[in-house]
Amino acid sequence: MNKLLLAALVTGALFTPALAADYTIMAPAGPGGGWDQTARTMQDAMQTEGISGNVQVTNVPGAGGTIGLAQFATQENGNPNALIVGGYVMVGAILTNMSPVSLDNVTPIARLTGEAVALVVPANSDIMTVDDLVAKLKADTGAVAWAGGSAGGVDHIAAGLIAKAVGLDPTQVNYIAYSGGGEALAAILGGQVTVGVSGVSEFASQIEAGELRLLAVSTDTRVPGFDAPTLMEAGVDVAVQNWRMVAAAPGITDEQKAAITADVKAMATSATWKTALETKGWVDTYLDGDAFAAQLAADTEATEAILKDIGLVQ
Amino acid sequence: MTTGSSSRERRPDGAALVIAAILAGLAVVIFWQTSQMRLPPLQQRVGPTVFPYVIASGLVLLAIGTVVSAMRGSFPERSKDDYAPIFWIIGGLVGQIMLLSVAGFSIATGVLFACTAKAFGRGPIWQTALIGAVFSFVVWFIFAKGLQLSLPAGPLERLLTTGSF
Amino acid sequence: METFDLLAQGLISALQVHNLIYALIGVTLGTAVGVLPGIGPALTVALLLPVTYKLDPAGSLIMFAGIYYGGMYGGSTTSILLNTPGESASIVTALEGNKMARQGRGGPALATAAIGSFVAGLLATLGLAFIAPFVVKFALAFGPWDYFALMVLAFVTVSAAFGDSALRGLTALFIGLGLGLIGIDLQTGQTRLAFGIMDLLDGIEVTTMAVALFAIGETLKTASDRDQVNAEVTAVKGSVWMTLEDWKRSWAAWLRGTFIGFPIGAMPAGGADVASFLSYSAEKSFSKKPEEFGHGAIEGVAGPEAANNASAAGTLVPLLTLGLPTTATAAIMLAGFQQFGLQPGPLLFANNAPLVWALIASLLVANFMLLVLNLPLIGLWVRLLTIPKHWLYAGILTFATLGTLGANGAMSMGFGPVRISFELVLLLAFGVLGYLLRRFGYPIAPVVVGLILGPMAEQQLRRALAISQGDLLVLVQSPVSIVLYVVAIVAVGLPVIMRMRGKGGVLSQLATDED
Repeated sequence: MNKLLLAALVTGALFTPALAADYTIMAPAGPGGGWDQTARTMQDAMQTEGISGNVQVTNVPGAGGTIGLAQFATQENGNPNALIVGGYVMVGAILTNMSPVSLDNVTPIARLTGEAVALVVPANSDIMTVDDLVAKLKADTGAVAWAGGSAGGVDHIAAGLIAKAVGLDPTQVNYIAYSGGGEALAAILGGQVTVGVSGVSEFASQIEAGELRLLAVSTDTRVPGFDAPTLMEAGVDVAVQNWRMVAAAPGITDEQKAAITADVKAMATSATWKTALETKGWVDTYLDGDAFAAQLAADTEATEAILKDIGLVQ
Repeated sequence: MTTGSSSRERRPDGAALVIAAILAGLAVVIFWQTSQMRLPPLQQRVGPTVFPYVIASGLVLLAIGTVVSAMRGSFPERSKDDYAPIFWIIGGLVGQIMLLSVAGFSIATGVLFACTAKAFGRGPIWQTALIGAVFSFVVWFIFAKGLQLSLPAGPLERLLTTGSF
Repeated sequence: METFDLLAQGLISALQVHNLIYALIGVTLGTAVGVLPGIGPALTVALLLPVTYKLDPAGSLIMFAGIYYGGMYGGSTTSILLNTPGESASIVTALEGNKMARQGRGGPALATAAIGSFVAGLLATLGLAFIAPFVVKFALAFGPWDYFALMVLAFVTVSAAFGDSALRGLTALFIGLGLGLIGIDLQTGQTRLAFGIMDLLDGIEVTTMAVALFAIGETLKTASDRDQVNAEVTAVKGSVWMTLEDWKRSWAAWLRGTFIGFPIGAMPAGGADVASFLSYSAEKSFSKKPEEFGHGAIEGVAGPEAANNASAAGTLVPLLTLGLPTTATAAIMLAGFQQFGLQPGPLLFANNAPLVWALIASLLVANFMLLVLNLPLIGLWVRLLTIPKHWLYAGILTFATLGTLGANGAMSMGFGPVRISFELVLLLAFGVLGYLLRRFGYPIAPVVVGLILGPMAEQQLRRALAISQGDLLVLVQSPVSIVLYVVAIVAVGLPVIMRMRGKGGVLSQLATDED
């Protein structure tokens, strides 16, 4: 055991990065996706604004971010230079994949962006409002086919929450998973499914072109630029958003955490970051400190409950 | 690969029988793993177990077909293969996998490079390993520094790019 | 004449300097890898994927398409001069082409292959431009049941097309299908066959699989095969120009090859190797000098080379319009699209029209570049064949492991202080699989196609049945699916009939030549 410890220390020493990199941000996803873009936008903003001299991004893709998360939690313990990007998808993935590592094993710093889930039907559908949809669901839950992103993701969770909120059994929801909202588009436009549920941005151009009717958005406030009520306003007690966040390594001191939070806040309020959000169409939902911790805890609890209700988690 | 067959003129193809056994083994693994799955109480007319069972059944049929084919000796003629180069290359790959985290990309890949050259009859190892390490470092530099690919760095990479271990 | 407008706009975009540079890089790399034995276009695109994600999507895709076309050109050079086809579609070319080279007619053989590839590439790319919009209009209304029928057709043709051994073709396909099961099930989020390994939750990476099967597998096979280690390059002697007689005998063969190759590539059927074989037997029966076949008949080079290029362009029809890859290279290109968040399919034409048309137009440009690269510069490519094998394969393995590490190489497993990359372990394991498949005469492409199409077929079937709430009849209720199933039945029947009519001889000859 001692030998092993010594060996670990020696390799640890070999691996301690030279003082060149101020931050290393892990994107627990493949290059090009949302988390990768978030990490690289952060890298750009931090370097341009002079918050950090040298920021590196590494990609560890797989399994809704849980592979990267597990690696981050075990290998970066106590490292004040390591950051990881994550999001709401991770909360569900941790539960469905029975990941040995959860968000409790890292130090969440701040929520950065968020996106509303949109509820859409094809323009020629006889469903005009959320009430019409609820009526159909109540008549025959299984006859309403939902199309959205992968099982256990935020789209699926939103569908389950809606069914539960109107007093139906979430396991009866006929949810058809696609690898993303964009892929589900053909099935929604072609009227093969009843209703589409995915991120607003996935449907934006079809909503604007009048090919899809936006019934409601899932956030607690309306989405600027779209003429549709929130679910709350439409009488369904559901509020959920697909947020992205940044977390630091486990085992860091409170001072280190405060320093990282200050850097992230400086980054998130910088002009470079704001410009990037605009060009990418991301909505700024910055939240840090205790407020974020409380929000995260509430989200995790609600997600676990609904995933159990849907039957994906035992 | 003895088969203990009876016929003398038409000896069954031993290797083909082994292939059949592997296919059957794969089928058993898929059957067994799929039977262990927990099924969520979802609205699923065709659940996540149907395809695995279909594919495993297909593999069983193909295993049977392979046995028949082996018995008739209808597998294509095989060239006489030399196994030493194969062990060199596999050894090089294993060496690279084991060395990457500690020694970094250039040294680990230099080992792979030398072993591969050796498999094709080019030596001596120390010389090709050196050439390989230099070549790999250049490649590492272009891809890790130029194109921002995450490639493992070791003492050599750190020494040459930052001046310290 | 909407197509003309779109194509013209695409051409303007394709002729922009940066896109021309991407195309040039693509065709140059493609020709080089086509010439080099052992690395084909699928492998090259797979290796380039991780390095291109930061580049411009249109440019990267133009480059990939250039590699694909270039690989088809380059493959003929190896077949003719070395008698070792660089990729399966050039096997037939080696039959007559190498004989011609040995008679000192290597120049005309290379020329008819290059010009034939050009003619076919040009016509087939125009075919792609005009057919694709129709397929898209049609495919927008495709339901999951239609896609499922399409996959069934693809499975049937991909495995049945493999010459006289349907058993080995199907076995390769089922190995791919079995590997495709690994990972999280999209519809229920449940894990299948991951054996508790986190890295397997997302399934087997197509690029890792392709790199392993093609690069590692081929390296192992070449190193172990004593006969191949010392293959001889036939020098190009005599006139490199085609005589009037050569032209007369070639032009019809080019056109016939194109008309055989394009539809075969465009249908979700077998790959370019089927097209080139069919063209070869067509030329043999049309020829006024059938006795020359087997002794260096120029039609036997012209036809199949045109056919294999035309079918490469044809393959892009189902890939772009339906998101359906039917060859290993197309499968990797699909991964390339997905890397940029683009999903090939009917909606791609609606949402990313400028990109799609720039891509199609750049194929025309690439085709001209290839003609220039291949005719006057042929001597340069031949020199590539003189790179010593030990450096060549050592370099190939360096890049194979680099690409895998760059894409998914996290050091996710550890034994004490040593951390290893699970993806590289997979690379090694599938490399050995690739060697064994080659050793025992199994085709490689069905493994890759099965790995990709298997999960797609499963998802479409389950979506269809979820929408119909379990009614199996939904699968055969649309006219499209009925037609596709009928075609699938014909595709199974046709090889059987052909074999009964005595044309199986060439098929089995091909199968033995491949080893």
